[in-house]
Amino acid sequence: MCATSHDESTGASVDIPAMRANFARAAAAGDEAPLWFYAHLFLTHPETRQLFPVSMAHQRDRLFAALGDVVARVDDLDSLVPILQQLGRDHRKFGTVAEHYPAVGASLLATLEHFDEDWGEALAADWTAAYELVAKVMVEAADEVADQPPWWDAEVVGHERRGIDTAVLRVRPATPLPFRPGESISLETDLRPRLWRYYSPANAPRSDGELEIHVRAWPGGPVSTALVHQVGVGDVLRLGPPVGHLALDPESDRDLLLVAGGTGLAPLKAVVDSVARCDRARRVDLVVGVRREDHLYDRADLARLEQEHPWLTVTVAVSEEQAPGLEHGDVGDVVARTGPWQSREALVAGPPAMVHHTVERLLQCGLPRSRISAEVFAPSRPGPDVDGKVTS
Amino acid sequence: MTMTADDMTPRGRRLTPADVREVRFARSTILHPGYSDTEVDRFLDRVGEELARLHAEKAELRDRVQALRAQVGDEQPREAPTAHAVSLLAVAQQTADRYVAEAESFSRVMVSEAQQQYEEQLQTAREKVGAMIQAAHEAAARIVADGGGPAPAGDARTAEELQEQVAYLQAFGQACRTQLRAYLEALLADVEQAWGRSDPAAVPVPRSAPRTARPTPAPESPPPVAGPAPAAEPTTVEAAAVLLGEQSLGPGSADDAPRQVSGAGATLDRS
Repeated sequence: MCATSHDESTGASVDIPAMRANFARAAAAGDEAPLWFYAHLFLTHPETRQLFPVSMAHQRDRLFAALGDVVARVDDLDSLVPILQQLGRDHRKFGTVAEHYPAVGASLLATLEHFDEDWGEALAADWTAAYELVAKVMVEAADEVADQPPWWDAEVVGHERRGIDTAVLRVRPATPLPFRPGESISLETDLRPRLWRYYSPANAPRSDGELEIHVRAWPGGPVSTALVHQVGVGDVLRLGPPVGHLALDPESDRDLLLVAGGTGLAPLKAVVDSVARCDRARRVDLVVGVRREDHLYDRADLARLEQEHPWLTVTVAVSEEQAPGLEHGDVGDVVARTGPWQSREALVAGPPAMVHHTVERLLQCGLPRSRISAEVFAPSRPGPDVDGKVTS
Repeated sequence: MTMTADDMTPRGRRLTPADVREVRFARSTILHPGYSDTEVDRFLDRVGEELARLHAEKAELRDRVQALRAQVGDEQPREAPTAHAVSLLAVAQQTADRYVAEAESFSRVMVSEAQQQYEEQLQTAREKVGAMIQAAHEAAARIVADGGGPAPAGDARTAEELQEQVAYLQAFGQACRTQLRAYLEALLADVEQAWGRSDPAAVPVPRSAPRTARPTPAPESPPPVAGPAPAAEPTTVEAAAVLLGEQSLGPGSADDAPRQVSGAGATLDRS
C-alpha cells in the first residue's frame, strides 16, 4: 500500500492533535483504561477472550504501549505502516482473524469516549477512520502471508536436562518452518496457553526440519520453567513465524567473532552451524561466558564442534571462579585481551549486562559499531515491540 | 438370507445410506446371468428420488439460514455493556491477575533461594573436599618422610606386612576424618562467635562447648571470615595438616601407631 497517498487524503480532514490529546487523557488513567477496554471487549465479544492468556496484566501494558506508538507516528505513515504490517502478520499465530478487528475497534472507541469528557462526533469520526486504516493495513499484511501457516505444530523429539535449570530440546515441526540462523522463533505450550516466548534455534535449517532449542528456567518464569521441568518427549509445541534480529551479513566473508552468555549461545551455535554448511572458508572464534564452570551446559557439543572444524576456536570465560584450563574473567574482558578483532564481524548474544559490557569492550578494541550485531536475552521475551525488538 | 432391493426399501420409507450400502440384487434366470434388470432399475429410481428430496431440503434450509442471519444482522448493534458489568469484569480480571502474579513471585523467590543454597552447598562441599585431599597428600608426604623416604623399587613385601599397612592406613583415615570434623566444628563456632560479636542478638546462647572441643594447634589460625574461598583454604589445610601429626591418632594407639609407621618403614628399608 502506498503510504503517502493516505497521508495526503487523510491529512486534510483528520485532526491529529485532537486525537493525541484524547489518547493522552485515556493513557493518563493508567491501568484503568486498558482494563476497561478489555472488559468491554470481552463483554461485547466473549469469543475474543480465548485469544488471551489467563493473566492480562502484561497484555494491558503492551496494548497501550503499542497504541501509544501508533498514535505517536500517525502522521508518519512511512514508519508506521511497516510496523503495523509486522503486527498484522504476527497476530495470525494468536488466532486473530479479520472479523476480530471491528470488535476491537468498537471497544477502543468506547474506551476513548469513556475516559474523555470532551468526546464528540468529530473525534469519533477521526478515530473510526484511523482505526479502519490500521486494521486494513494489518489485515492486508496478514492476508499477504496467507499461504504460510499461522503457526507450526512441532513435536518434542528430545528433551535433555543440563544442570538444574537448563534444558536442550529438540523439536520437529510437522511442516517445514523456514528460518535463518540467528533468528528467533516464538513458542507456546499447552501448559501455558496464550503465552508466547521467543527462543532461537541453535542450528541452521536441516533437511528433517529439526530445531535445537536452549531453555533456561527463569525463577518464576511460567513458560521457561514449564519447558525445562514439565515438557517431555512426545509433547507438541506451537511455533510462530521467525523474527530476524541477530543476522549474519550474507555478503560479508569476514572472519567471525561470536560472544555468548547464557542461552545466548543458541543463535551463535546456529551461526557456527551455517558457516560449517557453506563452502566459503572463514575463521570463527566463539567465546562463551559463564559465571561458574558447571553453568557451561553445552560443553560436550562445543568440544565436538571444535574438533570437527579446524576453523573454529572455542574459548570459555568463567567469571566467578578459577577453573583449570579455562579463561578467568568477564567474557567482555576476556574477549578484549584475546584480540585483535578489528577485522572481524562480531555477533553478541546474552544477558543485558553481558551484552552491553562486551559491545563496549569491542568498540574500545577498535571494532566499528556497524560490524557488531547484538541481541539481549532477557527473561520473558514476550515478543517484538513496534520497533521489532524481540526482548522486553 | 439376503434381502432383495425390493424387500428392504418399501415405498414410502426414506432411503438411508445403510440401505444403499447393503442392498443385494437377486440373480436373473440361468439364461440371463447377472442382476435382475427390473430390481436394479427400481432401486436407481429410488436413489434418484431421495437425492432430489435432499437437494430440495438443503435449498430450503439455506434460505432459512439466510433469513435468520438477516434478522440477527438487523438487530445489530449489540447492546453496549453497562458500566456496572464492565467494572465487575475488570475487578474479576484484576483479582485473577493478582493471584497469578503472586504465584509467580512466590515461585521466583522459592526457586532463587533454592538455587542460591544449592550453589553455596556445592561450593562448601568443594572446599571441604579440596582441603581434605590436600591434607591427605601432605600427611602422606610426612609419613613417607618419617619413614625414611620413598620405598625403593622392586621390594617384595609379604601379605602380612601389606595387611598391616592397610590396617594402619584405615586407622589413619578414620583419625583424619575425626580430626577434620572437630576442626571444622571449631571453625564454625568461631564464625558464630565473630558473627555474635557484630550482632549479639542473632546468637541465641553463648556457645562454649565447641570451643573446648577445639584441638590445640588451631587457635593460631584466625577464624576464617566470609570472603573468597581461596583465602580461607590454605589456613584450613595448614591447620589440618598440623592436626594430622602422628600423636593425634586414635585412642590408645598414640604410642603404637608411630611404631607401626617406623616398623613398616624399617621393613621397607631392610628389603
